[in-house]
Amino acid sequence: MLELDRVSKTYPNGVHALDGVSFSVGAGEIVAIVGGSGCGKSTLLRAISGLDTPSQGRILLDGEPVTQPHERIGIIFQEPRLLPWLTVAANVGFGLEGRPRAERNERVAKAQARVGLSDKANMWPRELSGGQAQRVAIARALVPRPEVLLLDEPFSALDAFTRADLQDHLLDLWADLRPTLMLVTHDVDEAVVLADRIMVMRPRPGRIFEEIAAELPRPRDRQSAAFDFVKRRVLAALDRSLQRAKTVDDTQTTTSTGAALWW
Amino acid sequence: MSLVQMSVAVEPAAEQQRRSSLSRWGRPALGLFLPLLLAVGWELAVRAGWSDGRLVPPPSVIYATFAELAKTGELQRHAMATLARVAAGFGVGVVAGTLLGAITGYSNFAHRLLDPSLQALRAIPSIAWVPLFILWLGIFEASKVTLIAVGVFFPVYLGVMGAVMSVDRKFVEVGRVFRLSSPQMVRRILLPAVLPSYVIALRSGLGLGWMFVVAAEFMGASEGLGFLLVDGQQLGKPAQIVAAIVAFAVIGKTTDWLIVGIAAPFLRWEDRFNNGAGAS
Repeated sequence: MLELDRVSKTYPNGVHALDGVSFSVGAGEIVAIVGGSGCGKSTLLRAISGLDTPSQGRILLDGEPVTQPHERIGIIFQEPRLLPWLTVAANVGFGLEGRPRAERNERVAKAQARVGLSDKANMWPRELSGGQAQRVAIARALVPRPEVLLLDEPFSALDAFTRADLQDHLLDLWADLRPTLMLVTHDVDEAVVLADRIMVMRPRPGRIFEEIAAELPRPRDRQSAAFDFVKRRVLAALDRSLQRAKTVDDTQTTTSTGAALWW
Repeated sequence: MSLVQMSVAVEPAAEQQRRSSLSRWGRPALGLFLPLLLAVGWELAVRAGWSDGRLVPPPSVIYATFAELAKTGELQRHAMATLARVAAGFGVGVVAGTLLGAITGYSNFAHRLLDPSLQALRAIPSIAWVPLFILWLGIFEASKVTLIAVGVFFPVYLGVMGAVMSVDRKFVEVGRVFRLSSPQMVRRILLPAVLPSYVIALRSGLGLGWMFVVAAEFMGASEGLGFLLVDGQQLGKPAQIVAAIVAFAVIGKTTDWLIVGIAAPFLRWEDRFNNGAGAS
């Protein structure tokens, strides 16, 4: 289980990016974090990954504090970040160095086959399309079999068609090992397609504003009424989170719950 | 109908083949056009009696001088002497420049400690050291090699430092996510990331090495291509000077090409805007 305990982050330049964020995510759960730009959602993810350390509060993975990159936590960035000097296969196997060659080759081959890029093993990253490169990045993050996989707007640079394809693909891969997925996105559709729970954040400083359960059956139909209902709830919450951040002080926001009460 | 289709289908393939054989031989040949035109033009001008070619010898005379020097073994002896000096100076300069550049690029503390002094030293024209080097190290090999090493050091130092400092944070983060130790980070992320700039730094260092070997040999040498230059001037043999210059050009280009050739297999991954314009 991944727990966040009053996590705050103030950058050296004085920007107060996160303020007392607490929640926990169970094993195998898929949680999406949505919010307007600058609401600290990427900061939150970087803190969980151990790349940044929170100014206050703790991040615990099964009770063990996370202060630096952890072998059970993987991350996929917004850009594929493939190392351009390594072939596709070497990129996929990047996290396996030090293991026996046979095991490495086998796991790399399996991961490549799983993301449908077996024929691209000896290509350079520059020869891949954006979607293919992000698939390689997904394979690279999954090969060490992380228990928690963080995704920082992983599909935001792709076209709508490729994005939907990769979302389905990600769910497919998730079903193999069922890691905990934590996904930061500004695409509400993406959040509703993927997540069991959607956290809406509000900016300045970043806080959890509302938590919305999205317990729709999988695979999810993007056209269904239930999908639309959850999506509307998320959009309404997003809307309120942004307006209140500007006009209403904290004491009021915590008492009201529905969109209707706001008016 | 089918015949038309056939010819349409066949022609591009033949066209392509023709073009690829043109690009294999045609492109380097294009680079030779201008020098050859000048050489032939000058040769004809001298033959025609428009100039006596005494101060600017025509290609045939240069070639004769070159062949004469080569036949007696003079040319090889002088070229070897110069090459040995450049090799020694280049080696010392590259090792020092790489180490210091890597350290100052990697560590903020080392950068603040060392870089200001090194930049101050860089501001001194290297030739200005010559009198001091001669006083300290004598007029023989040591002072010459030192001068060349100083010349090679700075471009390599600057290149390595700049390359290490500008390694993309995003790649370093990938290394951190996979929990690489410091030596692993250097080997798996930093080294490959700086390699393209490093090759350029080595090439500009080598260029300066060839420049400074001439300066070093001007300050008193009994052998070396620089000596051939001075000797040609003092004895009024312009053809010998040009022959030495040609030797410099050939050897300099060859060594540069060696660096490029050795590095090329390690740089196949590069995503460059123009893969055809690389030095060849």
